[in-house]
Amino acid sequence: MQRFIIEREIPNAKDLTQDQLAEIARTSNAAVESLGVPYVWIVSYVAGDRIYCIHDAVDEESILEHARRGGFPADRVTPVVAEFGPHTANV
Amino acid sequence: MRLLERSTEVGVLRAALGHARGGDGSGVAITGDSGVGKSSLVDAAVAETSAAGLEVRVLHAHCDPLDTPRPLGPFRDLELLGAADDPRREDESRAEMCERVYDAVRTEPTLLIVEDLHWVDAATVDVLRFLARRVESMPLLLVLTYRDREISPRHSARPLLGDLASLDGFTQLALAPLSVDAVREVVSGTHLDASRVHALTGGNPFFVAEVAKEPDRPLPATVRDAVLAHTADVTDHDFDVLQLIAAAPDRLDNRVLPHLGVDLPTLRRLQDTALLTRTDDGLVFRHELARQAIESTIPPGGGPRLHARLLDALETIDPADPAVLTHHAVAARDSARATSYACRAAEDASAAGSHSEAAAFFEIALEHLESRDPEERARLLLELAYQQYMTSRLPEAISNVRATFRLWEEAKRHDGLADAHAAVALFEYYNAHRERAEHHSDAAARIALDAATPSTFGAARATQGFLAYLRNDLVRARELAAEAREVAERSDLGVVGLRSEVVSTVSDLVSGDEAARATLLTQVETARDRGWDELASTVYSQVASLDVEHGRFRDAERLLQVSIPFAIQRDIPICRHWQTGVRARVQFQRGRWEAALEDAATVIDDNGMPLATLWPRLVSVLVPLRRGEEAELGLLDDAWSLAEQIDEPLRRLSVLAALAEAAWMTGRTDHRVSEYAVTQLAVLGACPGAEWGAGQVGAWLRRLGLPVPPLSLVAEPYRLADEGRVADAAQAWQLLGDPFAEAMAWTDSVIPEDRVTGIRLLDSIGAVGTADRHRVVLRQEGGVVVPQRPRESTRANPAGLTNRQLEVARLVARGLSNSEIATQLFISPKTADHHVSAILTKLAVPNRRAVVVNSAQLGLT
Repeated sequence: MQRFIIEREIPNAKDLTQDQLAEIARTSNAAVESLGVPYVWIVSYVAGDRIYCIHDAVDEESILEHARRGGFPADRVTPVVAEFGPHTANV
Repeated sequence: MRLLERSTEVGVLRAALGHARGGDGSGVAITGDSGVGKSSLVDAAVAETSAAGLEVRVLHAHCDPLDTPRPLGPFRDLELLGAADDPRREDESRAEMCERVYDAVRTEPTLLIVEDLHWVDAATVDVLRFLARRVESMPLLLVLTYRDREISPRHSARPLLGDLASLDGFTQLALAPLSVDAVREVVSGTHLDASRVHALTGGNPFFVAEVAKEPDRPLPATVRDAVLAHTADVTDHDFDVLQLIAAAPDRLDNRVLPHLGVDLPTLRRLQDTALLTRTDDGLVFRHELARQAIESTIPPGGGPRLHARLLDALETIDPADPAVLTHHAVAARDSARATSYACRAAEDASAAGSHSEAAAFFEIALEHLESRDPEERARLLLELAYQQYMTSRLPEAISNVRATFRLWEEAKRHDGLADAHAAVALFEYYNAHRERAEHHSDAAARIALDAATPSTFGAARATQGFLAYLRNDLVRARELAAEAREVAERSDLGVVGLRSEVVSTVSDLVSGDEAARATLLTQVETARDRGWDELASTVYSQVASLDVEHGRFRDAERLLQVSIPFAIQRDIPICRHWQTGVRARVQFQRGRWEAALEDAATVIDDNGMPLATLWPRLVSVLVPLRRGEEAELGLLDDAWSLAEQIDEPLRRLSVLAALAEAAWMTGRTDHRVSEYAVTQLAVLGACPGAEWGAGQVGAWLRRLGLPVPPLSLVAEPYRLADEGRVADAAQAWQLLGDPFAEAMAWTDSVIPEDRVTGIRLLDSIGAVGTADRHRVVLRQEGGVVVPQRPRESTRANPAGLTNRQLEVARLVARGLSNSEIATQLFISPKTADHHVSAILTKLAVPNRRAVVVNSAQLGLT
């Protein structure tokens, strides 16, 4: 599987309540489950007018299909080519 | 598939797009049978805009094959308008939608495509008409596609197509099937026989393409087989999914896929059939014919199961469109849900100003209503009746309200019963049955009083007052209005309060208090501000009507210029019919025969409410009579029957005057004139506000040599004539702007020379029939040289101008240039120029300066 970062533009995303986020999560889980292909939602971050999601999927088409089924925008889908952090300095 | 044999059509679209970018908008209709390539042609035009790097925004909307279409569906789907996700906009009215679409397309070069107009809803038609009338002055190319064979004369898209046809820049592209040569090109490289493929498919490009996709199979027996050939390798499970998508005629929303258990591998396999397309918001068949082919494979009894699955799935997403839910609930034979969704869809449609769709949804709700609760059924019937009334379907509205009486009684709901009587009272009045109207309004008031429901009682009293005012019983009208107002104030009922104020103010206006007119116009503003559109429109109707009745022709004209667009924009056809009928009358009084006939025909042809057809019927007879043409005298009998049913003094007087004029013109005896009018005139003329109508009937009786009963009061010009002050009477009519009455005043003189003046005037306004009648009399009397009948009208006059030309002529008279006129009327300067040339010819003046200088004489002020 390949890791992707998905940017979703949602006006006033920062104002979404916990209940609304829970509802979105339920919809997203149902969409993941219905795909019938390997797919993992890792985590999402809400920031300003955007939501940034990290998903593992076989291809970009699956990412877009997940968004269609969830009724979410997927304004930018970018494959992750590397992951690093403070520990990388020690390599 | 490459586009074949469509180069002319692509050229037309390319040119139109070029003009649109320059601000000279136009419309193109692409017509032809299903599969002939309408969408492919549109796609080619779109592809061309991007290939050529043209900065043209493309808006692509579709109408859906639902049994009852979603109001404004195509526009709500357009993302540009941002309507799809905004719940606040769900109940947006068509007037608001007009403004929003207009704002969106007038600033930026736009290609707006609306496909499959044969499935369009009435509200969308109105928005498109609004755009079509302005298209020439916008950077817009409006492209519509439809199957012309499916648009019958009564189809809701007809008026739009009529508007488009009158545009200068409108083009219709009727797509023909492919030739054998084109088919040969498609199947080249295969062993298929082009002539046989052409014969099998009739040259339909879609079918040809379907056949060509499977060249190795034997030629199918039918085109349905050609479509199904693509599914030969599809598994049962996947075929089931195809059938499910086929059961969703608009589209299968992406968001229901999880609920339906359709996974990504299934979609990928189905892609291989090449039957489906993925859009931003759902799955659709690439072509309606493909959908129908798959739908035809659903076994008997299988449909309801598929629709039930779709319904369950659609209920999980938010917001789901109640119109779509209704469609599936009906097809799933789920009565409870069909009723509940149809009610919601009807309320949405009504809020959006789509009264015909609202009525259709209430009909569905009633048809599927299982509940035995009489109150529930009665409420639905009453709602349905109201929508039918708004769309001028009075007989159905009346019979539906009548059906509720028994139900309300069964439910012991007296408030409901009173509401029903109040509603049917109004419907019966507009249906021209005063007696029934009064019976029901009395019943409504009585029942509401007994049941102690003040809102209904107040409303019923206001209606009773309105009916009393209309029969010129002003004392009673004011009493009833005062009572209604008191109830309204006690119970804080704003609309009833304003309605009652209107009744008393309009009663003041009838009895000659001209200051009341300004008060009524303030009341209109109040009603408009508070969104009481129907009341505002009713007040407009009454004021305009009284203006014409009392000789304030110019005031009436100015008012109608505001009120008719208001009634159109707020979708109140019943008021539009009434006011157009009033305009027919004012054009008639002002000697604008063509414009009067045009308005009269509109009301009669539109099956306008019976009450509104009274004036149009009179105008349709009197104009040809005056012009010396053949007239359909039977229309006068219809008008007389209407006047009897309505039983109001002013209307009786109007019809009597017309009957008398016809009797004078034809020399036939009419007992309604020689007996009824002679005996009743004094009574009818004694009503307040009847001094004009009575004066007119009196004048005709005199011309017929019949006795004229003494009249307590007649309007000024008639009084002057009675006193033998011919020149003064003629001048009074001239000041009011009634050239026919002016001429007739001269002909009433005992001095032969005055009568010759009258005849010349009649000739000059085209009333040669009336002039001829005078010539006969004058020749018999001898002693004066009678002027010959002119070969054609010699004096400049507006008799031959249509309504549109009058509108343009008034602006010319105000000194506006062609481009200023174009801007004001939303037409192109070229079209304005055409209109101005036609007007100068018809008015027989050399140039536009002559129109400005002689505007008063030309009757344009």
